Amino acid sequence: MRLLRFAAVRLAGMLLVLLVVTLISYLVFFLLPADPARLACGRPCSPEGLANARLFMGVDVPWYQQFWNFLYGIVAGRTFGTGAAAITCAAPCLGYSFQDNVDVLTLIGERVEVSFSVAIGAAVLWLIIGVGLGVLSALKRGSAVDRITMAGAIAGVSMPAYLAGILGITVFAFWLDVVPKGGYTPIAENPLDWAWHLVLPWFVLAFLHAALYARLTRGQMLETLGEDYIRTARAKGLPEKKVIGKHALRNVLLPVITLLGIDLGSLLAGTVITERIFGMAGVGKLLVDATAQLNLPVLLGVTLFSAFLITFANFLVDLCYGALDPRARLL
Amino acid sequence: MKSKATAVLAITMVLAGCGANSGSTGGDVAKGGDLRLLDDKTTYQADPAKSQSLVVTGLSLIHRRLTSWDVAPGKTTTIVPDLATDTGKASDGGKTWTFTLKDDQKYNDGTVIKSADIKWGLERSYSPTFATGLAYHKDLLDASNAYKGPFEGTELSSIETPDDKTIVFKLTRPYGDFNWVASTPAFAPVPKGKGTEANYGEKPLASGPYQIDSYKRGVEAKLTRNPNWDAASDPSRKAYPDTITYVLGQQTGVISKRLIDDSGDDKNAFGTSFASPAQLAQIQRNENAKKRLVTSKGGALAYLALNTERGKLADPKVRKAFQYAVDKASYQVASAGGAELAGDVATTLITPGIQGRDQFDLYKAPAAGDPEKAKQLLKEAGAENLELTLVTRSEQGYPEKAQSIQAGLARAGIKVTLKTLEEEAYYAETINAANPTFDLDLTSWQPDIPSANGNIQPLFQSSEIGGGRYNSSRYRNPEVDRLITEAQSTVDPVEAGKKWAAVDKRILEDSPVVPLIYTRNSFLHGSKVGNVVIGDYPSYVDYRVFGLTK
Repeated sequence: MRLLRFAAVRLAGMLLVLLVVTLISYLVFFLLPADPARLACGRPCSPEGLANARLFMGVDVPWYQQFWNFLYGIVAGRTFGTGAAAITCAAPCLGYSFQDNVDVLTLIGERVEVSFSVAIGAAVLWLIIGVGLGVLSALKRGSAVDRITMAGAIAGVSMPAYLAGILGITVFAFWLDVVPKGGYTPIAENPLDWAWHLVLPWFVLAFLHAALYARLTRGQMLETLGEDYIRTARAKGLPEKKVIGKHALRNVLLPVITLLGIDLGSLLAGTVITERIFGMAGVGKLLVDATAQLNLPVLLGVTLFSAFLITFANFLVDLCYGALDPRARLL
Repeated sequence: MKSKATAVLAITMVLAGCGANSGSTGGDVAKGGDLRLLDDKTTYQADPAKSQSLVVTGLSLIHRRLTSWDVAPGKTTTIVPDLATDTGKASDGGKTWTFTLKDDQKYNDGTVIKSADIKWGLERSYSPTFATGLAYHKDLLDASNAYKGPFEGTELSSIETPDDKTIVFKLTRPYGDFNWVASTPAFAPVPKGKGTEANYGEKPLASGPYQIDSYKRGVEAKLTRNPNWDAASDPSRKAYPDTITYVLGQQTGVISKRLIDDSGDDKNAFGTSFASPAQLAQIQRNENAKKRLVTSKGGALAYLALNTERGKLADPKVRKAFQYAVDKASYQVASAGGAELAGDVATTLITPGIQGRDQFDLYKAPAAGDPEKAKQLLKEAGAENLELTLVTRSEQGYPEKAQSIQAGLARAGIKVTLKTLEEEAYYAETINAANPTFDLDLTSWQPDIPSANGNIQPLFQSSEIGGGRYNSSRYRNPEVDRLITEAQSTVDPVEAGKKWAAVDKRILEDSPVVPLIYTRNSFLHGSKVGNVVIGDYPSYVDYRVFGLTK
């Protein structure tokens, strides 16, 4: 019952956050000096043609009305234009991309698999590497392992994602020619090929992220190992494996999970640079392309989608917290 | 500032002394194979109404139009028939144009192409759902701009189809270039009644040598042969490859890496976007890749538009000073490292390869300009110490090019502040705004049809100011407006050409823009791609003749 109430309250909170995000995005887009109808008008574009394009795209009305139409479309769907060539966008309509001839939800839906494949694989990899190395360096504090790990971590944290991607593809795909130069195979089509195309993006992202996790784990572990309850656990004769693995690691994982929640949420919504460099049609690439083409419906749709994932991931993190730390059990 | 100069210098040194492969590269081709087009765009579609594709590029693989272009290096581009038996017959002083379709032309599904289908395709282009394509026909066929397409039950009365072969256009005014307009995408046939769905372009009925076999958004489009294409009636399309694959959504840097690397499938590949200055420098360092770089002889006119409505720029004498103040040589360096890959210095508005072009130079000066003469002109006009704003785009190397203009003008005492904007914000400021606040606009223009009309009318007629149209110098001259209308209504191409050349000169006498260079484009292809040809106009590779070597 308490869990249900908790979930309901969080859900309402999530909806409010999404609404605010949508409103802010709408305002930002509306303040842009550009006219989305210009792209739908052809060349040369007559004033009448431009007016027709505005009417057709529904951008001929004030922003608050457009915003209302957008919200209404999510519930009831929308129609653009009239007659036999009218475009219908069924509910829940997150907008329609006139440049891709498809509604935004379908566009995102087609690309979710790519982004999830990239993000989840990379996250698993960096959790294992990051937490593992972090624990190791904490236990062997001051050793060569510790120093090398932390030096590597600094490189990973400070390297721009674009550089890591280009370096990765140049070395492993072009020079050594051991991985594909880009592209994506759906997992249902050929799981081996799927993994084969993803190996490099996974490692590039893991390299960039594992660093932070290793540092975080190391610091947290060192702090935790100095706590009274660890001394108590050791004093009562628990094997070191259990002290570290069960008592200490639990505490260490709390901030790691929080970080993972945020990282994964934003990553699922688009591993922008990775997808661009490796030519994978994921949500991140969709966002970049939409920005370049000023495709406002897609920008808005992807922004909403990302906001949803981030809030949802945080919700899951809160649930996990309870499981890891009895003190944080839900109210 | 300093590091930028060093970078430009470094590129110059790399490129210095390197010859460009002008016009064509690649060996002899044979029928067959899979040609791969590496494209940075994510969307592929072949809807004639929605397309702004030139006759020589992608859309022509799928669709034929009424007329087409004969394109070759070293030759003025001429008009040739495509689906029509000739290039159109003008009557009524150029107000009525009649075309007849060739016999037995079919779509890929076997149905016969009728004149009513051409009419339907054009009507479709007026529907807001499909209105994104080239629109040079629109006001010629509907003066009121009130027609909104056939899907609400009304026809366009200006197009008549007395029988299945004949199509008659009753224009709103005499128009000598209408046969050129008939080569734009909307003049491709769409079976009457079809094409109501917004994504028709993903699986259209094809009249060209290929049809779309499969399309995966953001990933690839696969083109296979159209079994009903009539090769004998279509000499301009060679259709060598058996299949053509568009590989979509590729990052341009990676495309260029893949093509330089030239391994596996990439040997059969062509990069559809032109090589950037950084990529050119990389290619020039690689002997093997250098052979596979093809560069156009000319191309889009790069120019500096002077906002004739702003302050001292309203005075033609002040504007003339800019012709001497700019440094076109350093503009070439900033564009592509040097003249060889950047393009020749421009002194006219009409670009090379266009019928009727007259090469002249009203403001003779060295390529680096004549800042002293500029200073003197400014002094005479009482416009010393000018402080101006230059807008340009933040992509495609424009910021570097703008810096070269800034430095050039500074020599004549003109102080320029640069304002670089994202593409759409840039258009909003330069061509949409009712009262823009910029003084100078650095941009370029390539006509959509190989007629001087396409060079001049969209940029200099007073009807083309604001509202998304391209006269960004906001140039108004009733005499020029009249001369443009006269040249447009001249049917005889030679006579029309002379009139356009005169308009070119007349406009430059007022100096609303400074022509900079005829921008060359360079494209890179894999080692097995042959017949990679760029004519004098347009500065794009002719997709119709591509092939793979054995």
